[in-house]
Amino acid sequence: MRKSLENRTGAGYSFLAPAIIFYLVFFLFPVAFSFLTSFKRWNMLTPFINAPFIGFKNFLDLLRDDLFIMALRNTLFYAILTVSITLVLALFYAVMINKARFSVLWRFIYFAPVVTPQVAIATIWGYLYNPNSGLLNAILRAIGLKGLNWLTDPNVALFSVILTAVWAGLGGSMLIFTASLNNIPQEYYDAANLDGATGFKEFWNITLPLLKPTLLFLSATGLISAWQVFDLPYMLGRNAPAKSVITVSWYTYEIAFQDLKMGKASAGAFLLFIAIFIITLIVLRLFGKEGIEGYE
Amino acid sequence: MNRDRKKLFWETFRYAVIIFGAIWMILPFFWLFSASLMTPQELLAFPPKILPSHPQWQNYKEVVKRIPILLHYKNSLIVSLSVTISVLLTSSLSGYSFAKLKFPGEEVFFRFVLSTMMFPVFIFLIPVYYLMRLFGWLNNYLSLITPFIVSGYGIFLIRQFILTIPDELLDSARIDGASEIIIYFKIILPLLRPALATLAILTFIGQWNSFLWPLIITTSAPQLTTLPVGISRLSLAFATTETQHLILAALVLQVIPTAILFLFLQRYYIKGFVLSGFSEI
Repeated sequence: MRKSLENRTGAGYSFLAPAIIFYLVFFLFPVAFSFLTSFKRWNMLTPFINAPFIGFKNFLDLLRDDLFIMALRNTLFYAILTVSITLVLALFYAVMINKARFSVLWRFIYFAPVVTPQVAIATIWGYLYNPNSGLLNAILRAIGLKGLNWLTDPNVALFSVILTAVWAGLGGSMLIFTASLNNIPQEYYDAANLDGATGFKEFWNITLPLLKPTLLFLSATGLISAWQVFDLPYMLGRNAPAKSVITVSWYTYEIAFQDLKMGKASAGAFLLFIAIFIITLIVLRLFGKEGIEGYE
Repeated sequence: MNRDRKKLFWETFRYAVIIFGAIWMILPFFWLFSASLMTPQELLAFPPKILPSHPQWQNYKEVVKRIPILLHYKNSLIVSLSVTISVLLTSSLSGYSFAKLKFPGEEVFFRFVLSTMMFPVFIFLIPVYYLMRLFGWLNNYLSLITPFIVSGYGIFLIRQFILTIPDELLDSARIDGASEIIIYFKIILPLLRPALATLAILTFIGQWNSFLWPLIITTSAPQLTTLPVGISRLSLAFATTETQHLILAALVLQVIPTAILFLFLQRYYIKGFVLSGFSEI
């Protein structure tokens, strides 16, 4: 038996070896490398060793860069709006579709955009947003409103991206809400019905408090992924004036792979990572400790 | 009576809302398919047309002729399949190790794996690109595959699944003298089939749709262009020309494989998706 235990320790490590090597090469090294780079001036073409250390200059440059500030503001705005609208709508539709007739079909339809490439979604919506030949303005005109310059008006473009993102992400969150809804024991509702609580009251007093952990989880993961958004704004926002829908991923991509300012891009990536971290902590705090524990 | 009317009102409201939403969800897909059969003039018509007057099926023939979309297909397929197979292998090995093989440092390392999922992608772009250049992989598939061969989510998913396998089953095999590698192949892998199916389809679709990393890599290696990158370049190059209706045909061709996969493996995909919603933070 002792031998078998030793075997298991040995096997434990050797089965993990691929993952360990992977995380060394593709996680620990990059994080350390990124951190070092953020204090250097480097364009990727010269040897990394020879790149000079320039202290905090990259960080100062960033804070003076209007485009970076705009990317920061856009991303924050996008993340908060997209996540909150998606969650409210997803919860609403999860409750509506749950126990409705043909619920499997409805869920399938709402979920379809989640498996569709974001690049494809952005291209389709790019056509729908076309001010002349697009379907959206045709609908607006049909109900007597004026059409919008969805993607070229800097005051509207970011909202258009958010609209598309909500459309694309709704079904995913809805599905997770549905799973949690089905986990709520029927007895709770039976008891509430005996007390005369139905409809909205039932939702407010029973469903919502019990969904709190799911809500917490979806907000945290939603913010983390919204914060990294690239595909939709990059594809939809290319015609917006003065890069008015630039996001932080897009900014990092451009500074690194078009301007070849690796130091500045790394500094930006690091600042944003810290920002993500803080936002996640705030969300977790906001919902209170019981949320997380209730979750586990 | 009053109660019935109230109920009827609610049911009407419910289905009206559901159908309204469903129309919005379907409309862009319907439009895409319909518009892919239009002539460029119809596509830009004012007021917009919903259906083509004569479906232009030759759009599809033309797109295959004028755009290297078959090459993009091949690239996407090679990359997505390679990543999926690697992730299945590394996740099941690591998942088994975490779930059933006790060893020092297990807990700490598992926490570490979970925490890696919180790191945003933009931290890794520059260093991993640098690594790929260092390894000399920039102009072959390895640069698109290797950065994704281990998945924190995959390890987590498989570990959770293996935890439900009773220890007695493994112990009796051990008493019979089976080594851990035999147990992994003969007992664990067969039992894992549903979990692996879930992970496979999630990984495959994720890779098939992946955009930012292939965009970076294929800037210097256009022969590796995958479908999403191909589409994005097309919509740039063709935006103002007479050929833009071809983008839509190309889009339909890109969306179809994931749609079919999802249609047939829906059950597995949804299970994995929902599970991802219940992993620890």
